[in-house]
Amino acid sequence: MSLKLTDAETDALAELFNVGLHRAAASLSEVTGQRIIVDMPKLVICEISEIEQRLADLVGGEIATVHQMFGGSVAGDAVLLLEQDKAAALARLMTGGEAATGGRLDQSAREVLTEIGNIVLGACLSGFGDMLQLPVSFSVPRIHIESLRTILGSLLVETGETQYAVIVATQFRLAALAVDGYLIIALGAKSLGRISDALRSRIP
Amino acid sequence: MNDRRYGVADDMLRSAAMSDLGALLDVGVLTVDADMVVTGWNDWLERASGRSRREVVGRSIRDVHPPLRHAAIAAIERAVGGSVVVMSQAFHECLIEVRPPAGYEHMARMQQSVRILPLTGEGTKPLGAVAFIQDVTERVSREAELKAAVEAAEAANAAKSSFFTAMSHELRTPIGAVAGYADLLATGVFGPIGEQQLDPLLRIKSVTSHLQSIVNEILALARVSAHREEVELCEVDAVALAEEALVAVEPLAAQKGLEVRRRFSSTPLRLHTDNVKVRQILINLLGNAIKFTERGSIELEVALTNEGRHVAYVVSDTGPGIARNDLSRIFEPFTRVTSRGSPNPGSGIGLALSRELARLLGGDITVTSDVGQGSRFTAVLPR
Repeated sequence: MSLKLTDAETDALAELFNVGLHRAAASLSEVTGQRIIVDMPKLVICEISEIEQRLADLVGGEIATVHQMFGGSVAGDAVLLLEQDKAAALARLMTGGEAATGGRLDQSAREVLTEIGNIVLGACLSGFGDMLQLPVSFSVPRIHIESLRTILGSLLVETGETQYAVIVATQFRLAALAVDGYLIIALGAKSLGRISDALRSRIP
Repeated sequence: MNDRRYGVADDMLRSAAMSDLGALLDVGVLTVDADMVVTGWNDWLERASGRSRREVVGRSIRDVHPPLRHAAIAAIERAVGGSVVVMSQAFHECLIEVRPPAGYEHMARMQQSVRILPLTGEGTKPLGAVAFIQDVTERVSREAELKAAVEAAEAANAAKSSFFTAMSHELRTPIGAVAGYADLLATGVFGPIGEQQLDPLLRIKSVTSHLQSIVNEILALARVSAHREEVELCEVDAVALAEEALVAVEPLAAQKGLEVRRRFSSTPLRLHTDNVKVRQILINLLGNAIKFTERGSIELEVALTNEGRHVAYVVSDTGPGIARNDLSRIFEPFTRVTSRGSPNPGSGIGLALSRELARLLGGDITVTSDVGQGSRFTAVLPR
């Protein structure tokens, strides 16, 4: 089964993520007491086997990811992906230098990134619940520091149905720092189909 | 339809299992119902707060003493609404304000890391929430000590760098004057110089020139350590750079009767880097190889590595080698290891400076060696 979203549906989905990311930026600003801006996201939908090729030019080395599984009307895996050194810089700036001393992702920094990931992933995927009436519930978030290949390998599951990935590229900006962040929503054809149906019914 | 649902079923909580689990994992377990009334308060919370289960269960979470933080109540409300919430210590410090554990009385309160999950029953509407509270005071205290140590080390390093810079300038000016006056004397500006005076004058010139090069190295190392060295990137040919460096050191090798081997083809190899710094690194590594090798050969190899993403320059020699337990020290400035046993040991700055420069360019220098086995220095630089 091959599934393609029309341009209008892809635009609508990008807008949903944009709303979610702005909500996340507002929450992060509140938590950190700093002004945090999130750029308008760029969105790509591909088969899951293509993710590595699409991300290889954008990220390299060790990667920090926050991973949450989600279930309900649509089900899959949601991952926030940051380059490790950028993740450390982000944690350090957001905590006013309290975490990630000397650029190390210490336990406090990992916890901070877990909370950031939880806020970002929650805000984005709750958008489906609120606007598309596709409520989802989440697992507890987990942080991993690994290579891109290992992380993507953990998303490949044998389910019998084609697995897709929605890649959402954005930038978190605070102070003088701009950090590229990627959200990967891995989900099966049925779940993506449900999102596509819900989008279609709401596009005039 | 894949109907995965996350959260904790409330019937689990009714069982003693949850309380046992809390005790086993040494975490606080707090549960509330959909109206934010406390339904569970485990032994851990009794101990930490000094409030018994009886005093707390049945009260609104807003009336609990010691009080929950405002952000904690908001987080529990979000969990009751169906979200999974993480409260990291660095952002929130704690969920509930209780005394720090024994031995950490210098901290104002216990530092906590918290996960809050919605409680789900058979339906989709959450029935409440459960918070798992972990005491991370010890870890936070340890990280604070580490941070203080890192900051102290950085401050000491900055002080050292500024000392080096000031010292080097103070040294360079008088050395320059000595060299200049020696030159003027030798050219006869201050009167005729006889054969007997000329030889010592030339020695003064030679020694001051050596001293100048050492001071310049110290200054360069201080600049790199103080992050004041700038990188000027350009497209260069990695092979041509290798050849230039070899041409510069070949006379030294010839003086000692050492064979110079090249292990690279003449095909150009594109490299995006700061050519001045790479040349400095190569001349340093090759110069060291010649300095410490009394007989045999030195060799320079140029190769691609890391699937073509890096260029590796490998400088090998047939010198005395370096004892294994000295290998970790040789990149420290002013370190001269005895196993290399050279009569002309130099300042011990060259290797430290070369590695700092390589790291500044995004690469690194590594070494493999052992006594009697020669040495092999590899500078890897990103393309």
